[in-house]
Amino acid sequence: MENSKNKIWDVKARRLELVNDTYLGYIVLIALCTIWFFASKSIKSELILPNFEKTALNFITGWTNKRIMTNFGITLKRVLMGVGYAIIIGTIIGIGMGYSKKVYNALSPIINSIRQIPIMTWVPLSIIWFGLGEGPTIFLIFMSAVFPLTINVIDGVANIDQNLVHAAKSMGASIPNIIRDIIIPGAFPSFLTGVRLAIGGGWQSVI
Amino acid sequence: MECLKINNITKVYKGNNNEPDKIVLKDVLFSINEGEFVCLLGPSGCGKTTLLTMIGGFLEPTAGEIYLDGKAIKGPSSERGYVFQNYALFPWMTVKDNIAYGLKFFDKSKEEKEQRVNYLINMARLNGNEKKFPIQLSGGMQQRVAVARALAGFPRVLLLDEPLGAIDFQMREILQNELDQMIQEANITAVMVTHDVSESVFMSDRVIVLGNNHGHIVSDYKIKLPRRRDRESSEFKKCVAELTSLVRIAFNENITAGEACIMKRRK
Repeated sequence: MENSKNKIWDVKARRLELVNDTYLGYIVLIALCTIWFFASKSIKSELILPNFEKTALNFITGWTNKRIMTNFGITLKRVLMGVGYAIIIGTIIGIGMGYSKKVYNALSPIINSIRQIPIMTWVPLSIIWFGLGEGPTIFLIFMSAVFPLTINVIDGVANIDQNLVHAAKSMGASIPNIIRDIIIPGAFPSFLTGVRLAIGGGWQSVI
Repeated sequence: MECLKINNITKVYKGNNNEPDKIVLKDVLFSINEGEFVCLLGPSGCGKTTLLTMIGGFLEPTAGEIYLDGKAIKGPSSERGYVFQNYALFPWMTVKDNIAYGLKFFDKSKEEKEQRVNYLINMARLNGNEKKFPIQLSGGMQQRVAVARALAGFPRVLLLDEPLGAIDFQMREILQNELDQMIQEANITAVMVTHDVSESVFMSDRVIVLGNNHGHIVSDYKIKLPRRRDRESSEFKKCVAELTSLVRIAFNENITAGEACIMKRRK
């Protein structure tokens, strides 16, 4: 079915042929909006279910609203900063803990206990430490982003085929060479999963 | 001239909890001459891979030392090229980058390195595949990349850990021919681990049969057949038969009283 790529409706088969699965997401979204549209029409109380058209209109005009966009920019900056710090620190700790059993044993009790703390309990402490303003928010974003990232990096590094490391060593590579040429590319897929989770976690703790 | 000396190597793996310690190798002593191709042959669990790993420097012996040109081996180095069982090619590097990797750490001019890599690509008959990634290659080609990569850094010894272990019978003979040709061409001292008797007869000058009972040498068997061996010749078959019976002895040593008892009951 090479030539029918991206074709939604297959005329011959007379059925919906979803060759490219990315359409599925949009179809579900449209279906949900339709249900929302009719549900809000029948419920008639905006307190229970907001009117669909009004919400959609506000969503569209919001993009041109200066105040919303300024605040959106500020939030985006905070998320990027928090996640940025998390990427730097999480990657360093993750590589250390994944590569060396000693570092892992030394740090895992602390990391594993801190990461269980609910994010909201950091709020009072972070205000005391960083004062009011940007500081606490970035700190909270950092705290919820850093652990999923660290754990994924540890996992990625620890699961690299040891023979690849041995092979590099037998060719004369030093530890920095091994980290650069074997560990980082080898753990990159796990690192990317970690970044995805970190960004998600970061957005969740935007207050 | 003596190249590699395995001097009274003992390796003991500590048992977990209440398990007794496992003696894998005990007082293994032999030396390998310059240019010799030696096979380590034996039943699984006899410590042949452990011994090769120690020559590679990835594992330390419990007692004894291994000498290369009179110097004790401490950790892995580019003096000993290693071909792993699963080849361990770097999946994110092209064939050329894989082969050239070891040369990065050499103090040589760019032209010299380029020349070396091209020479190895020619030798491994990989022309036209330089830019491919390992996943795009057949098993045989991956093997040739692995050997070329291990040879790149001008090693004194080439170590091969069951390089054909996972390959089916028909393909095996073809790859044995290729490997044999490459190693003869490189004219290098080599140690190969295998559990395939005919492979060891086909490729090596000398076969060291390791026994299962506390890993010791059962036999040091020299193969005097001329190179480019004919697998169908009667001399070749005689060597295979002799070695097979030696491996059988090596294997039977492992049968403890308890296992012998179970076997008797099955009969």
